[in-house]
Amino acid sequence: MILLFSILGVSLNLLLGYSGLVSMAHAAFFGVGAYAAALTARHLGWPFPLTLLAAVVVTTILAGGVTFPALRVRGEYLILLTLALQMVLYELMLSWTDLTEGRTGISAIPRPTLFGRTLVTPAQFLPLIAACAAAVFAVGYRIGESPFGRVLKAMRDDERATLAIGKSVLRYKVAVFSLSGALAAVAAALFAHYQAFINPFSFTLDRSIFLVALVVLGGTANLAGTLVGATLFVGLPEMLRFLQARQEIVDAIRDFVFGGVLVAFMRFRPQGLLPERPGVGAAPARAGLAAVTPALPVAAARTDDGRPVLRAEGLYKSFGGIRAADDLSLVLPGGRVTALVGPNGAGKTTVFNLLTGFLPPDAGRVVLRDRDVTGLAPWRTVGYGLARTFQDVRLFERMTVLDNVVAAIPGQPGERLGPLFATPWRTAAAERANRARALGYLAFVGLADRAGDIAASLAFGEQKLVALARLIATEADVLLLDEPASGVDVQWVSRILELIRQVAAAGKTVCIVEHNLEVVTAVAHRAYFMEAGRIIAEGRPEELMADPRLGEIYFGKARR
Amino acid sequence: MSWGLIFATTKIFHFSHALTLTVAVYAAVLAVSGWGVPLPLGFAAAALVGGLVGVGTELLLYRPLRRAQATQLNIFLASLGLLIAGQSAVLVAFGPQARTVEGFPMRGIELGPVAFTTVEALWLVAAWMLIGGLVAWLWLSRDGLAIRAIASNPELAQCVGVAHERVFLLVFAVGSALVGLGGTLLALRDTASPTMGVHPVLAAFIAVFLGGIGSIPGAAVGGVLLGLAENMGGLVLPGYWQGVIAFVVLFAVLVVRPAGLLAGRGR
Repeated sequence: MILLFSILGVSLNLLLGYSGLVSMAHAAFFGVGAYAAALTARHLGWPFPLTLLAAVVVTTILAGGVTFPALRVRGEYLILLTLALQMVLYELMLSWTDLTEGRTGISAIPRPTLFGRTLVTPAQFLPLIAACAAAVFAVGYRIGESPFGRVLKAMRDDERATLAIGKSVLRYKVAVFSLSGALAAVAAALFAHYQAFINPFSFTLDRSIFLVALVVLGGTANLAGTLVGATLFVGLPEMLRFLQARQEIVDAIRDFVFGGVLVAFMRFRPQGLLPERPGVGAAPARAGLAAVTPALPVAAARTDDGRPVLRAEGLYKSFGGIRAADDLSLVLPGGRVTALVGPNGAGKTTVFNLLTGFLPPDAGRVVLRDRDVTGLAPWRTVGYGLARTFQDVRLFERMTVLDNVVAAIPGQPGERLGPLFATPWRTAAAERANRARALGYLAFVGLADRAGDIAASLAFGEQKLVALARLIATEADVLLLDEPASGVDVQWVSRILELIRQVAAAGKTVCIVEHNLEVVTAVAHRAYFMEAGRIIAEGRPEELMADPRLGEIYFGKARR
Repeated sequence: MSWGLIFATTKIFHFSHALTLTVAVYAAVLAVSGWGVPLPLGFAAAALVGGLVGVGTELLLYRPLRRAQATQLNIFLASLGLLIAGQSAVLVAFGPQARTVEGFPMRGIELGPVAFTTVEALWLVAAWMLIGGLVAWLWLSRDGLAIRAIASNPELAQCVGVAHERVFLLVFAVGSALVGLGGTLLALRDTASPTMGVHPVLAAFIAVFLGGIGSIPGAAVGGVLLGLAENMGGLVLPGYWQGVIAFVVLFAVLVVRPAGLLAGRGR
């Protein structure tokens, strides 16, 4: 039983710990798998490994399919939604008597026969279950500690930022839900054959809650922690059986202790028994970090210096009655820095959101070179070479600085499940190359020595630099920087500006949103002045600064 | 509504509200059946004990957790843990068998084609009185204003000097007293058992989300809708779907309109 719960825990930890998706329906998925195995064995007479396959297929499809519409929601909504799913599936198991035989359950599930031996006793089952558990653990570990797992963690830490580095959050969510269902189904098929009998009462909400608790107590995003948790919280209560007391009192005491432990852990050790290991793969050796050569990728199309690379034509966007963008057109020339300036609330950040697909415009077009990218999903526009940063930085806070940057590198084979398992050597080689590249980008912004640190531990100015390195790592050649130098000490500002100049000199097309007019004059070749969703002036920054009308809008009318 | 009040204000996924309900009802059971206290006083006891349990939970569990900057999931799990532990404690103390609240004259009433019992009539009256009272209090009093301020924007409310820790306590006290009353009303017809709180609180989750988070009248409307859907659905769908309807409705609403049916249209 400990091993079965370990399998379930590992499968749930991928969801809960790595991806931050709380599923209260795991017991129901477990149940669906068990029924799939039991029914194919009983009615179709399939032998054991085939029934396991059936369980995996059915549960994967269900988990992936049912959760697909659910994945637009997060946090407490997802808890509630999966709770609803758990109840629906459970009630169906109880009431769809033609298929499940209701509360009586399905009995006389054939024992599996392997290598000519029929497994009956627990001792005979042990090697099979242990082998499966080991396999599931290996799969889970491989996924969790891979580029794929890195994207999952990024998604957990910040969904919008994950989109902004060009990863389709939806695709990863469906993948991880299906995968988690598939692994749970392995436990389910084993459970059905081991017990030779199943009924709905093994797949209740209480069991789902227990599984969630098990994962959190063991340690989220740490699979070894889940094993320890399963051993302790499934194994120890079995000891209580030896107490000479009435069963229901024993159960009550067990629940009481379990509840108490849960409360105490949340209070004093919320990260669980074994906390998450920072960083994917081996930590970079500190000694070598100083010697990393700074790297700056040269834009593919060096030739479009000064020519228009990104054009926006007639963008409209309104929120209720407010026009956040009103017939807005602009052009970003290649290899230059363009600035958007204007007072608070002029709609500068909205323009970024419209350009990168975070908001669909009500009307108008966004054209990147010759490609219409209007209203494409943000992760797609990144793929076409248009990426952005956020005003509030949005690093993946619980990941290392290095992982923040590596995660943004496009086209990693280890981010797809096929190559991850089919061509491990190629994946590993690509990962080494990507890490080296990411270190180069970090060296470019001057933070290579902080590569192994947790992102949240950095000062705000350093976080902005990491965000810049992450943006460069997307290999996009049109870079939109939202207030790259705001809220940062003066000594950082000049450093950031110097980097922006270098990036543009390397052929990238850069656009910044900035309040600080000194910053704008220092780096921008051209500036657009915005007010109330419109562009009311454009020109060289010095010219705009000299215009008394704009000064009035920016600073308010001078008192007389 | 009581759960909605707590959730909207404190953003705590207060699962152990079910425990508050159970404990409060057991207080009423003890008072009425054990010591022979008249029924109205039994209700008062339920409200009092409910309020105390709620305040205790906030003071001893949620406040330290917030101080330690626990995530929502951590708080949710702690709440679950408290519920599991508390239920078992009630089970050990009072045994698993169901208890009844005695002393209410249960009779049938017929009004034309509609038949119901005196208990159900009391439910109807009491529920609307409690809802009306709560809404009036929220909209007319100074405390109500503070609660609504925190529900809509906690940071801003703090800036203008609303003491949120105090308001949280108040909300827990009022919400928990209400659930004590509601639970005892339920127990008049049905029975009291250690796990009785879970189903009403699950229904409350759904009602609150249906109505839209943060909209306290919405929670009441959501509750009514949910009840209607469950009963009407039973007429047209095969029997085994009935228990599922509430959750199917919820699933559908969450997918189509995640903010809830009556959620404000703000951005």
